[in-house]
This record gives sequence, C-alpha cells and structure tokens, in this order.
Amino acid sequence: MLNAAQIVIGGLLQGGVFALVALGFSLVFRVARIVNLSQGAFCIVGAMAMYFLQTVYGLPTIVAALCAVAGGSIFGLAVGATTFVPALARLPTSSMLMLTAGLLTFIEGLVLVIWGNESYALPPFSGEAPVVLLGLRVSSQGFWIAGMTAFIVLALWGLIFRTGFGVALRASAQNPFAARLMGIDVGRVTLVSFSLAAGIAALAGILIAPITSLQFDSGRFLTVFGFVAATIGGLGSLLGAVAGGLLLGVTEQLAAGYVSSLFANALALLLLLATLLWRPSGLFPAEPLRRTDVAAVQRIHRAVVRLKGRGAALFIAALVIVLAVLPMIVPPGLVASLAIAMILFIAVLGLDVRMGYAGQVSLGQAGFMAIGGYTAAILATTYGVAPLLGVIAGIALSLIAALVLAGATLRLRGDYLALATLAFGLLIDSLTVGLVDTTGGPSGLVGIPALSIGPIVFGTPRAFYWLALGLAVVLAFALYGGMRSGFGRALQALRTDATAAAALGINVTRMKLAAFAISASLASLAGSLYAFEFHFLSPEMVDTRHSFELITMLVLGGEGTLVGGLFGTFLLTLLPTVFQPFALYKTLVEGGLLVVVFLYLPEGFLGRVATWFAPRTPRTMVESYDSST
Amino acid sequence: MTPALDLIGLAKSYGALRAVIDVGFAVPEGSITALIGPNGAGKTTLFNLITNLDAPSAGEARFFGQPLAGMKPVAIAALGLIRTFQTARVFPGMTARENVLTGAHLDVRQGAAQQMLWLGGARREERRLTAKADSLLALARLDSFADMPVTELPMGGQKLIEVLRALMARPRMLLLDEPAAGLNDQETAELAALLRAVRDAGITIMVIEHNMSLVMGIADDVIVLDAGSVIAQGPPAAIRNDRRVIEAYVGAEPDRA
Repeated sequence: MLNAAQIVIGGLLQGGVFALVALGFSLVFRVARIVNLSQGAFCIVGAMAMYFLQTVYGLPTIVAALCAVAGGSIFGLAVGATTFVPALARLPTSSMLMLTAGLLTFIEGLVLVIWGNESYALPPFSGEAPVVLLGLRVSSQGFWIAGMTAFIVLALWGLIFRTGFGVALRASAQNPFAARLMGIDVGRVTLVSFSLAAGIAALAGILIAPITSLQFDSGRFLTVFGFVAATIGGLGSLLGAVAGGLLLGVTEQLAAGYVSSLFANALALLLLLATLLWRPSGLFPAEPLRRTDVAAVQRIHRAVVRLKGRGAALFIAALVIVLAVLPMIVPPGLVASLAIAMILFIAVLGLDVRMGYAGQVSLGQAGFMAIGGYTAAILATTYGVAPLLGVIAGIALSLIAALVLAGATLRLRGDYLALATLAFGLLIDSLTVGLVDTTGGPSGLVGIPALSIGPIVFGTPRAFYWLALGLAVVLAFALYGGMRSGFGRALQALRTDATAAAALGINVTRMKLAAFAISASLASLAGSLYAFEFHFLSPEMVDTRHSFELITMLVLGGEGTLVGGLFGTFLLTLLPTVFQPFALYKTLVEGGLLVVVFLYLPEGFLGRVATWFAPRTPRTMVESYDSST
Repeated sequence: MTPALDLIGLAKSYGALRAVIDVGFAVPEGSITALIGPNGAGKTTLFNLITNLDAPSAGEARFFGQPLAGMKPVAIAALGLIRTFQTARVFPGMTARENVLTGAHLDVRQGAAQQMLWLGGARREERRLTAKADSLLALARLDSFADMPVTELPMGGQKLIEVLRALMARPRMLLLDEPAAGLNDQETAELAALLRAVRDAGITIMVIEHNMSLVMGIADDVIVLDAGSVIAQGPPAAIRNDRRVIEAYVGAEPDRA
C-alpha cells in the first residue's frame, strides 16, 4: 500500500511536468488552432541551457533557471517569428502540423550538434534529501514542480481572462478575421503566445531534468506526453491541461511500477486513443474556441500542378533508364544506399496517395514499415517461412492494423487524426522494443535470410536495387493509373471539401479507407524489403523518426506528384553516405529542410518544375471577364 | 404522375429560431422551378433539409416517391438528386476539367483496381467521360480554361464549373443554389440557355436565384419563400404581380401606410 502511494506520488511529479508542457500546447492551440509539435523540444533547450549555465559556468540555481527560461522564450520568439507565424498565413492546417514536426526535428538536431548525444541530469534545486511526509518520501524537486505548475496556471489564467492582451488573445482565437478588423495584430498575439509557450516548456524541462535524465531527442517523448495530457484534459483548457497531466503521470507510473516501463508508453497512447474516441473534447472541454454554427472552412488551399502529356512520358522514360543503369555507374559502395533509397521510395509512394492526394496527414507510416519488416523477418528466421509469403503476411497484418486504426479514427478531424497516427507509430515503437522475446528488443533481429522468389535469390545490393526499382516502377504506374482517373479525383475532392464530394455521390469513408489501405500496404512492403536487404532489423530502423523522415522526403519532392518522392528519398539517403560528416548534422538538416521547403517551396522540387510547364491563363478570356465586372 | 420532388410539411428549428416552417410543395418532373425570396427566407436551409445535410425537425422529402428521411447525403446523390452550393465549392488543387470530371463519380463503372491496372475498359471509360466533360465545357464556353487550376477562374466561371460538375453526375434532378451569382449578363444568358437545354433533356431543375430576369425567363413555376414559409406559388407572370411577394421584397406594409 505504502509502495502504491509512493508510486502515485512519483506519478504526480511526472504529471506536473506533463501538465506544464500541456499548458504550452493549449496556449498555442488557443490562439492559432494548431497543435505545435515542437513544444517538447523547447523543454530540452531549457534543460540543456540550465545544465551548462549551472555546472559549466557555475551560476547559482535560481539565476541559471531564470536565464534558461528567458533563453527558451527568446529562442521561441526567434523560431516563431521566422517560421511559425509567417507560415500560418500561407499553409493549410495539415502542413502547419508537419511544419511543427519539422521544427521539433530541427531543434533536436540543433541540440545534438551543440551539446552532443549524451544524457544530462541536473542536481535537484534544493538538494538530494527527500522530504518525509506521513511516512512517504517526496523528492524535494516535487515541491518545485507543484509550486511552479500552480504558479503558471494562475499566471496564464490571469493573463487570458484579466488583461487586455488576454482579450486580444481570445478574440484572435475566436475570429482572427474580425480581430484583425478591430485593429488587433493577430500575428503579434500569436508570436507572443508561441514565445510564452516556449518559455513554459523550458521551465518544464529544467524542472524535470533532476528526476529524469534528458538527451537531445527526449523532446519527442515530452511532446507526445504533453499532447496526450492536453487532449485528455481538453485542448485549450488550462484546468484540463493540469488534470490531464496528473492523470497521465499517475497512470504511467502505475503501469511502469506494476507491469513494465516499456508498456507505460503503450498505455499512455491507448489512453489518448480512448479519449479521442469517446470524448474528443476531453475531460474539461475548453469554452468553444470558434463559432460552431459556421461550417469549418479550410484556411488555405494549394493548387497542385502536374506534368502531363508527351513531355511527362518522355521525362518518365528517361528517368527509368537513368535509374536502371545507375548501379553500374556509381561507385560500388553506393549501390546499397541506392537500394535503400528505392525501398524508401515505395513507402513514400504510399504516403503520397494518403497525404498528397487524400490530404490525410500520417505521422505513423514507419509503424507499418515495422509491422511489415518484423512479420516477414520473424516468419523467415523463426519459422523458416518463404520470404515472399512473409511479405504477404506482413501486408495482411498491416491491413488489419490499418482497418482497426481507421475504425477508431475515421471520425476524427485533421489534426486529431494526425496525432492518432503519431500515437499509433509510437505504440508500435514501444512494442518493437518491448516484446523482446519476439522482436529481439532493442538489439534487433539478426540472421534474416536474403530475399528469394523461387530459385531467384536477390543476394547482392545490385540485384536488390533492381528488384526494388522494378517494384517501384510497377507500383508508380499503377498508382498513376488510379490517380489520373476517377479514384484519384475522388481522393482530391474529399481532401478539400468532403461535403461537396459527398453531394456528388463520392463515398468519403470508403475512399479514405482505400487510400489508407494503399499507404499501409506499401509501407509494409517497404519494411519487409528493408529487413531482407539489411539481413537485420532493429526498432530504430523503423521508428517514428522515420515517419517524419518519410514526410520530409515526400514534401521535398512534392506532394501529389508520385515521382517527386524519388528526389527526396535519394537526397536524404545518399547525402549522409557521400558526405560522411553530414551524419552528425542529419537530424538538423532534415528538420531544417522540412521547414524551409514548407515556407519557400511548398509545392516541392518536382511541383516547382511542373509549374514551369503549366499552361498560362488565356489572356483574352481574362480581359473579357475584367471588362464585364 | 409522381412528382420529381415532393415536400411534405418540412420544418427546421435552430433553438427558438424557426428557419423553415411547414413547407410543402411538389416539383413536377421535367420542369424548372425557381425558389425565390429575400435573404434569410430559408431557401438554402430548405436545400440542406432535402439533401439531409441538415436533419429536418419535422416533415419529409420524397424523390420520385422515395422518402429521403434518414438517408446520407451520399446516398441521396446516388439516387440522382444532385445539388450545388451557394458559394462556389469547386475543388482547389485540380484543373477546371478535372473538377467537371469529378462530377462523373457515380458514372464511373470501372473501379480503382481496373484504373490501376490500366485496363482497356477503364481507359475507354475515362476517354468517354473526358469527351463529355470537354463538350460541357465548350457548351459553357469555358473550354479555353480546361487545363487551368480551377481556382484561377473568375468567380462566375467557378459557379458554372459547379453546374457542369453536377450535370456530369447524370442527375434526374438538379438543386442549384444561386448559379448566376457572379455571372455577367452574357454568361447569365448562356446559363439560361444551358438550363433550358438541360430541362428539355428531361432533367428536373429547382433553382434558388436572385436574378429576377433569369427567373422570369426560364422558370415554369415560381415558389416564394419568406421567413421560412411559402407565401406564393405560381407561374412567373402571376408571381410578378402578387402583392404579398412585392411586400416581402420591398418591405412595404400598405395596410398601415
């Protein structure tokens, strides 16, 4: 019993920090209606800054903490002013979400470059000795966490409901257009909120650093748990953020204490899915942030220009020929990387159908790679099943998983759907690490045989590359056939206006399911190929980081172009191989590229090339319209 | 003969606001019926009730005798009752031709699998639909815009695209919500000719419209809605001189004057 009470106290401490991160989510969501996935990264920036100010420069704890929080806010201000706020005016909500995912990766990369990949732990603010209360040992840090969380909630409440800035903030949240007409600088309000949220996150980071050691990519974990907390409590609600954080912290610690810490993550994600399913507005729904009697209008649409006709056919023919001879002209050391790039392109093709055409953000694509990879690998190594059958079994399992996930998430709106897919991806991550007996755990599965179809063995990287290329070409042609016809048009229609699509007899649910099934199957296929190419599979080869990487690859090349993904996969796979020092900067560059592309080249590389060949507005028609109005 | 559309006591309240009150009328097959009335009369709401985008509080709509109550909008569309929207709801990200082709969704018989396998049937069907879309675009004199992103068309062009898109669905009846909004005089005349041709092809039309010369020019029957109720119904000539209609529009109250 005492033990249970001790665990609950640990959970409350953890939960207090989740609550702080959740408060940051709610603040930004309140004004911009965007879930800012970079929230957790600011925690790490705060904690790292604190560590160096305190231990390297020897500043007193309080001074170091204040400097770290101020630094976090200023860093947030800079990031917000250069990326988040300007993008808000130009990007659709789904792209904004991915932009913040890019910021998360970028900041992680920045921390990696500056502070390396070591784990850091701070000393507790008031010494190591725990306080004993009613026979329970409470870490002194706990009082700091509880006090600061209460202080921040009160300060935010005062700011939002008792100040002129709060009025501007609420007005910007409810109707940005009208707020602008009333002279409110919505951009500035958003920027200040973003910066405040970054400061709160930095505070959360320095508070949790003494009880959990942090490294450059721990921000991802804090982002997810902070978001889960905010969603359980009710996005946008201050009270909800605290309630959600504490509930999540206690649940997680109880699961870790009585089952296994590996399944604590899984439990948190199941809690998120359950909340999204049964109570999407959370335990304490925030007051309506927008008028609900007005149809939700997507903020911005982007026109996609595609290459067509003879020119496109020539381009594709030339491309296939170049790709076919590529392994014979590049240095032999590069051929394996080419094969990997081609495998990833298959996964990106699937992602393009779901994201580029149907407009459904998927942050869990690597989860299906993991299902496909592990199913094929386990069947081949443990049960000696033929590789081809293993691949098919992987696809079948992925389709079942996709169907279950779709059943749970079909009703969800854009950003919630995206986060449910993120939760799914992280759930698969924790399973691949946690099910040690089946998956080999963190050290992975070894001894996966070469892929063979009947008597043909794809044993060399070159043979494997040609196999992947052949598959990719067949798949790309098939998808092109579907996307240029009724199927593709239906997907693009429901992407921007599901109501108008349904009014034309398009079964929106069935079309979304079809797109999801295609993307899951292709990711699964890519995962299986991955395992057979490396003869080895470990959780980090197919973890959530790769879901983000696949998105970067797709967006770099151009969403909704099918072949555009080739550009992204080859660039991001070959760069670290060709230019070795790049490995350290890989995370930074990937995140940075995603952000920069969204800001300056939202149509992607191939999309931009296509616009050079796009038909122009016929001049005479424009004039005849102009003269008439 | 069964009317194309039969409304029986349709009503909708939003809290205390009674947006549509006991509306009942029949639209005969093969006619053009205009639905007119001042802003806020409940015209668009009535369309939403018919297509079940909004569930009626009372009453029901029947389409060629079939009750539509409880059916999803997508199922109602599949019956051949196709609507357009007040604000042009074209699909951004696609060209004008692709937008029109999207309307053919119900007419696409070759499934996604056949399309992906590049089967001859799917290709032939695609060519047939494209030819049909192109002839519709030419009819509306929008053929030179066919390959342009639809959002680059002027508002009037986008409204026309929406009408063409609805026509591609091989409808038995069209519900058009202010199709002439944003069109110039010449385009409005072309729209009128198009709608007459559509009616003559046997497709029933109900159209919400503010442009009175268009209404008087094409409608076989006019229904006037004011404050949620039908206040007059009849041929255009009779409606033009109906005192209550003039009051509703002009707002004069001669009894007290």
